[in-house]
Formats: sequence, C-alpha cells, structure tokens
Amino acid sequence: MLEQPLQPFALPTGVFEKLSLAGIVSPTLLIQWTLITLLVFWALYTLIAIYHWLRYAHNLLAAISSIALHLFVSYAIVIFALSASPLP
Amino acid sequence: MKEFELEPGEFVVHLVRKHWLVFFGELLPFAILAVLPFALSKLLLLVPSTEQLTIYFDYSREGPRLALGSFLLVIWTIAWGTFTRYYLNAWVLTSQRIINIKQRRFFSREVSSLFLSRVQDVTTDITGVLSSLLDIGDIKVQTAGEEEEFVMRGIPLPERMRDLILKYVPEESPPADGVSGAPHISRP
Repeated sequence: MLEQPLQPFALPTGVFEKLSLAGIVSPTLLIQWTLITLLVFWALYTLIAIYHWLRYAHNLLAAISSIALHLFVSYAIVIFALSASPLP
Repeated sequence: MKEFELEPGEFVVHLVRKHWLVFFGELLPFAILAVLPFALSKLLLLVPSTEQLTIYFDYSREGPRLALGSFLLVIWTIAWGTFTRYYLNAWVLTSQRIINIKQRRFFSREVSSLFLSRVQDVTTDITGVLSSLLDIGDIKVQTAGEEEEFVMRGIPLPERMRDLILKYVPEESPPADGVSGAPHISRP
C-alpha cells in the first residue's frame, strides 16, 4: 500500500473569493460556524428522537434498529462529506 | 404499555399504523431534495450559459462535497424524524376500546380512548384507484351524542379493521318496555 504523508484539512476558500465575500466575512470562520451549527442541530435532533423512541416505541428492538440505522447513515454521510480531494 | 393501563380481562386485539405507502408519500419531498443536487449538476451541463457554474457542483472537490454532505445530513435527519413520528402514531384496538395515539411532533403526544360500548357507527372510506388497489382508506368511528369521533386515516385494510371493531362492540339487550335506548350499530 502506498503511504502518503497526511495533509492538513484545508477549508475551501475559492467560492468566497468568487462571490466577493472574502473581505466581508472570514471564510474559515463562516464555514466553522456553519459546521458547528449543523453538528449541534444534528445532535439535538438525534437526542430528542432517541428519547421519543426509547420512551414511546414500546419495542426495544425496533427502537435500537432505527437508532442504529440513523447513526450509521449519518456516519456514512459525514465520511462522504470529508472524503473529497483537496482544492487545487 | 405505560401510556394506558389495560383493564382486567382486556387484551390488545390489533395495532395499526398508517399504510407504508402513505409514509413513503411523506418521504417523497425529502427524496426529491436529496436527488436535486445531483440532478442539478447534470442539468447545468445542458445549458451552455451555466456551464461555468458546474464547478460548484463538482462533488469530487472538497468544498462542494462538504456542502453536499451537510445538506444530505440535514435531509436525512429530518426524514428520520418523519419516520419516528410515523412509527409513534398508532391505533390500538383492545377488546374494550380503541386507543388513538397521536404524535403530532416531538413533545406533542396525545393518547385518547374510546370505549367500544359507546360506538354508534363505523364508516370506512376508500377513495381513489391506488387506494382501492392497495386497500388503503379511512375509518370513522362515531359515538352517540355530540362527542368527538375517531378518524383513522390512511390505514391498511380498513374494512378488516371495521369488522374487528364491530366484532368487539358489546351487544346490548333491549330494555323491558321494548324501546331501545341503545345506540344503533351498523354491521357490514
């Protein structure tokens, strides 16, 4: 297996430069806050739904299957989102 | 079940949720939204003046892929929430009553019971070609007086459910003077 040195994750800035946002907001900060907001939304929504499943589903197998499916798909989407090649 | 206690001698006859096709109909907007970014990248190629925008839909690059992943995560999470609400909405028929469990949204749950002894009329409604083919319909359970009625929408095999309800409606013996005070029960 070909071993390559790890590259630090670089946030994309090209879009902001093209949209002339570079001088108004820091792209790094904007993307960071967007991702943090998304993570908080996902975590809260997931916790609330898990609470409802465990309290009201009355079927532990269905509840655990559904929660496991949600966590697996979310994990797959996150891996997909972070697996692109860096911008040139 | 914790939300309602069964009386001595009472047992659960049937538990029903909306038909899976009705649930899939609720998921359709999420499916369309999830496919949209992929379709958009292909559609932009067809219009010469928008070809330059395709760079923003090149999902092999980290910026567009991060945006797409974030979008898909939101769509998936809300779709899963829709499934959660679908699963938590149910109608339970016991040997003595109908229990309607409504999960409108998170932290908004209503559990109501209708004793079968108060049932006056049970109506089924199957409208449309697809509903007729797949046996999807509504059931309306009415009680005597001006009390609220129970409506079950989009359930599978509504006629079977109606028969089950009527099977467990207790027969009332007519009073001695011959004038029936009991509500009329329409049987199929």
